[in-house]
Amino acid sequence: MMPEQKTGNKIFVNKEKIMSEKVLLVDDEKDFLDIMSERMEARGMTVKTADSADQALKILEKESFDAIVMDFKMPGMDGIQALKNIKTQKPELQIILLTGYATVEKTVEAMKIGATDLLEKPADLEALAAKIKQAKAEKMLVVEKKTEDKIKDILKRFSG
Amino acid sequence: MTHDMKNCLAIINENAGLLADLAVKAQDKAIPFDPLKAASISEKIGKLVSRADDMMKRFNRFAHSMDHDKETVDLEEAVNLIARLAERILLQGRIRLTVIPASAPCRIHASRFAVLHLIFRAVDSLCRNQTDGTLDSEKPVTVQFSSDPELPEICFIQDFRPEIKLESLFASPEDQALLARVNMNIRTMDSGAGFCLNTLPPARE
Repeated sequence: MMPEQKTGNKIFVNKEKIMSEKVLLVDDEKDFLDIMSERMEARGMTVKTADSADQALKILEKESFDAIVMDFKMPGMDGIQALKNIKTQKPELQIILLTGYATVEKTVEAMKIGATDLLEKPADLEALAAKIKQAKAEKMLVVEKKTEDKIKDILKRFSG
Repeated sequence: MTHDMKNCLAIINENAGLLADLAVKAQDKAIPFDPLKAASISEKIGKLVSRADDMMKRFNRFAHSMDHDKETVDLEEAVNLIARLAERILLQGRIRLTVIPASAPCRIHASRFAVLHLIFRAVDSLCRNQTDGTLDSEKPVTVQFSSDPELPEICFIQDFRPEIKLESLFASPEDQALLARVNMNIRTMDSGAGFCLNTLPPARE
């Protein structure tokens, strides 16, 4: 049996049942969106797509996601600006950037603004899936912390 | 360009991955391998290879622009090459470039690399020097060539307002050196409608 088949076997038997990450995939290449979403959905993820940062921002006004996987360089609003806007709108969101060429300067800039991770294209889907899973866990921690702070605040007000 | 090339490779990579996924499904879940799906993937890969090949050809033409110190350069051909090489930059700047074919050959004797560099600087300036800063609508720019074979000229005419900051065009010492290298200068049009790169008449002895 081929090694790829063993890896594939694990994906379809195990991950299909346990993974349910909700992902927003943003890229201006329609073919990339189609095929990536098909492969990610085959791994149990729920995927929504946007072909521009503007469209992604509109979707984010109505829906929440565990992670956003976004191309760094798109026509119109670029990755850095989109990242800033998304983080302003929803700071708890985890954003994984995909880039054609990751310069150290741009990577540092993206991380400073709040990108969760950065992957170079062509990316390995298994590596991306692992990062999405990690992003979901981090988002849950942020949301839990937020809820905890809210509860503490309410208790403080009532006890005072 | 490299980003587009990476995009092509990324989609080819995902198509290969999809084929592997389907093979695993066929073997492990006894789901028959759909020949139509396989044909569709194969067709997509073929198109992507052709797209990447076109890019490589353009890269190659650009790389060979450094082969000769000076040669006869067709300005229309040079503009078309840069328009294709800078496709993503133009798309990001929301500039739609329309190249009007020259009525007569528009050629100069110069360094092909320097000419391509100069045209790229013109395109880049169009994308960067927008005073309104809006990226909402597409901005049409027409490229025309002079009909005077003695004084070849490339004109970039913008069909939108407000005008770009023409005073800052080719103002840097690097741009000035580039203009001097190809024996051209810049002429701005009235009311900020655009600019032309025109050849200087040969110096009289």
